[in-house]
Amino acid sequence: MCRRWAIPAVDGNRVFDTRHRRGTLEGVPTTLEPTEVIDPDLSDDVSVDRPWIVIVWNDPVNLMSYVTFVFQKLFGYSLEKATALMLDVHEKGRAVVASGGREEAEMHVFRLHEHSLWATMEQES
Amino acid sequence: MIGRRRREFVGPIEAVEGGWQVNLDVEERHLLVRLMGELRALLTGPGDHELLARLFPTAYTDDEEKEAEYQRLMREELVASRLEAIERVESAIAPERRDLLDEEETLAFMQSLNAVRIVLGTMLDISDDDPDGDLATHHEGDDGSSGDSPEHHLYDFLSWLLEWTVRSLSPS
Repeated sequence: MCRRWAIPAVDGNRVFDTRHRRGTLEGVPTTLEPTEVIDPDLSDDVSVDRPWIVIVWNDPVNLMSYVTFVFQKLFGYSLEKATALMLDVHEKGRAVVASGGREEAEMHVFRLHEHSLWATMEQES
Repeated sequence: MIGRRRREFVGPIEAVEGGWQVNLDVEERHLLVRLMGELRALLTGPGDHELLARLFPTAYTDDEEKEAEYQRLMREELVASRLEAIERVESAIAPERRDLLDEEETLAFMQSLNAVRIVLGTMLDISDDDPDGDLATHHEGDDGSSGDSPEHHLYDFLSWLLEWTVRSLSPS
């Protein structure tokens, strides 16, 4: 299935400088890169370093067996780990099921939403 | 009908060599196809129907700007994904269909079946804890209703069918 992940990945302090790849063939425009690379000022924003966590919340409809299976299928977790996470959701009201960069977390949330699970994401505190 | 199956220990869907065998009768297949059509109508209807609220949860609870961006970018894709699954299910469980389902069809069946349950659960205002396996109950509404309405029976049927579908997909 084709997905459009239009939100750019801006994780941590990575800056992708592609100026060195600009065209070198005479008279042939070979570049799609921006003409200017702006280095972000990260001095006042330490939040970009913190990973994003994906949370699944308890809900009154989804079956326990279904939730366990979805955790196994989407994240490749063992039955034991998926069951433990499902029980956390059921008994504690929520469970952190994955973490990572913002784009990765958003992809997980989308796939959980595809399976009708109540998933949210936030930056780890 | 369901009792007969349980006595014979034959599930409504089971993993067999080469795919998944659907053991639903024609009436049940017609019912499920009709439910898929109703879900499609809700998804493609005008505005945000309140019954769909649980199908499109909030992604960012603490950032309105990011949430608006997520919904703007992903909602349309989520609808498209659900419609694609519905179309696959309608073909997979059509009354005239008799060959085995492949894994993609069975997964689409599981997802769409659950989506219908979610909508029905919203309609029935299901909210209490369920000792029988749900993350919460579907038998007693907050209004004190008996939970014995046709909609509750349909909900129970879908839960039973989903349970078997998950079981058929789970590694033994």
